[in-house]
Amino acid sequence: MKDFVLVAKELCVERGGQRVLDDVSFNVGKGEVFALLGGNGAGKSTTLLTFLGFIAPSSGSVTLNGAVVHEHRATVHQQTAYLPESARLYPHLSARENLNYFLSLASVSCPDDEIEQALDAVSLAAEARSKRLSDYSKGMRQKVAIALAILRKTPVLLLDEPTSGLDPVAIDEFNAILIALAEKGTTILMVTHDVYGACHVARRVGLLQRGHMVGIFEASKNGEISAEEVHRIFVDHQRL
Amino acid sequence: MNTRNVLLVATAEWCYWRRSSLGVIASVVALLLVLASLISTNLRIDTERGARESFQATAEQTFKEQPARHPHRMVHYGHYVFRSPAPLAIVDPGVDAYTGTVLFLEGHRQNSAAFSPRYSAAQAGPLAEITPAFAYQVLLPLLLIIIGFASVAREREGGTAYLLATNSVTPTELWLGKTVALSGIAAIALIPLAISLVFALMQGESLTIVALFFLGYAIYLGCWCTLITALSSWSRRSSISLTFLLVTWLLLCIVAPRFGTTVAGIAIPLDGKIQSDLAVTSALRDVGDGHNANDPAFSRLRSQLLEQYNVETVEELPVNFRGIVAQASEKDLTALLNEFADDRMAQEAKQTQVARVFNVLSPALAIKSFSLSMASTDLSQHHQFLRDAEALRYDFVQKLNSLHAEKLSYADDIRRGSDDRAEQRTRVSSENWRLLKDFPWQPRSLSERLLDSLPQLLILLFWYICSAWLGITGMQRVFKNNDG
Repeated sequence: MKDFVLVAKELCVERGGQRVLDDVSFNVGKGEVFALLGGNGAGKSTTLLTFLGFIAPSSGSVTLNGAVVHEHRATVHQQTAYLPESARLYPHLSARENLNYFLSLASVSCPDDEIEQALDAVSLAAEARSKRLSDYSKGMRQKVAIALAILRKTPVLLLDEPTSGLDPVAIDEFNAILIALAEKGTTILMVTHDVYGACHVARRVGLLQRGHMVGIFEASKNGEISAEEVHRIFVDHQRL
Repeated sequence: MNTRNVLLVATAEWCYWRRSSLGVIASVVALLLVLASLISTNLRIDTERGARESFQATAEQTFKEQPARHPHRMVHYGHYVFRSPAPLAIVDPGVDAYTGTVLFLEGHRQNSAAFSPRYSAAQAGPLAEITPAFAYQVLLPLLLIIIGFASVAREREGGTAYLLATNSVTPTELWLGKTVALSGIAAIALIPLAISLVFALMQGESLTIVALFFLGYAIYLGCWCTLITALSSWSRRSSISLTFLLVTWLLLCIVAPRFGTTVAGIAIPLDGKIQSDLAVTSALRDVGDGHNANDPAFSRLRSQLLEQYNVETVEELPVNFRGIVAQASEKDLTALLNEFADDRMAQEAKQTQVARVFNVLSPALAIKSFSLSMASTDLSQHHQFLRDAEALRYDFVQKLNSLHAEKLSYADDIRRGSDDRAEQRTRVSSENWRLLKDFPWQPRSLSERLLDSLPQLLILLFWYICSAWLGITGMQRVFKNNDG
């Protein structure tokens, strides 16, 4: 049996008396990109936060490399880089300062040229790197957050709407980065609305609908998932 | 716990304040406020100390340089005593501003202290002078709130709390970092206080008292720093945190002190001045008039003396009967007046004790009592001044009465109004005025002050610990999902 890095087993989460996730099960293997698709309120971000240990399951379990997440939160955080939705970084700091700050906190030693390389990789203009993030567009902030996730060099990446706010060119560049990271063995779980992007990057796509996992689509032998089919099923479920 | 992360969080917070206009403005205002209050109070107290010490010396010199006179004229000539400000009054002038600082001492009376600085025209009104103690106890916490209300709530509101958590920052490290950062601002605000305390040391204050005084204020501001970050950690949004903190400040710094004194005033009611004076006047009617040797109140004394010296008339007595009567009258009158004064002071002390019970409700109340006790500017110190002044008054009045009884002949004394030569003989030389002692006023002893202020220090520590507990428990919520 294959060893999975991230495992959600019969996961249920209740919040404010309502079941937000109901019997959700899936797993993500080493070096795999797993995309979780769903509409607003489907429970995508809740799933991600459960994998980060910020939400405890009502029943079922989530594990990272076999460790129950909410019982070993510190260990999980050491192995995980998290990219929150809308790149929530410090607006009073520059891109470099933000990266230096978070990397120092995580005790990740990164020489300046490595930071510059990561910022190059996300195509953040050189002249913008010393400016405060309060002057950045949403997409630029997202790029800095992506650079941080890359620089953490963790075995697991959890991404919440990572391409939100990015232009098409930046999305392509980002997807290329994800594929490269996965090829190097990084396990990636991303939640997104972007059906086509998800199908392009991920080898498996899970479809969440009002807290239920309604289906998991696997890439065919040619390595592609039919985005049209996923899109059709996604829309059909949304209309139900 | 990773100390490095604590310092990194603290440094980032300082960076945020440095780059935000609100942080810079509030810090500058805080520093200017304490500096201005310290400088102005320091100058005022220094001027007053110089003036009072100079007046005290002049009053003593003037008394001692009086020409040869009848001793009873010196009893009514009287003497002034001035309460010199304690060294730490430059930080906390305490009751000095409200109670009188000068007493006129004379025979047969216990005058009230006069000349309260607060009631002088230029300083009328409750906020006429912002003392350093008021600035540190009431205003600085408000400025710390303005600087730090969003410290933790901002991380939650902006979603950076998750990012911090996934970058290996624990809730305790984040809270400690924020608290250390805010404490850094408080520490900067304490620098002017430390400089002022050096001046107090130079004025003769004990090093132990000065060190503890500083420690007390440091703990107090530390309490506020922990409380601010604690309440910030319990708030989902910065605006909620600010509201929470402003209400807390209002309750702890404004409402609680009023509540304590109001309850104390109701529990231990005090008579007003007119009522007290009427009661004293009424009681004094039963004491004989010391100016009238024939007052029936002294007939028993007369009989005792005649019998003691085995003579028939007061003229035959070897002592001046008028002087003896003055002594006896002063003794009875003083005993009666002291009874009233002691009763009044005991009631006032009880009021203070009742009010102090409420100190546990607010660190602002605890630091106020602590500061007053340590600075020796509290009510008990004023009472001590009144007692010391009364002891001096009684001493010199009775010594003058003793001169009257022993050095003046009764025959001359009763004729001095009509006989110039008799009047001359009833004058005693000015050498005798040296009987006046120096006024011994001193701040209370180290042990008394320590004993008095230790419970307040414990209350401050209690608040510190409770705030820290509140902060640490609040932080556990910050790192849990709060997106609803």
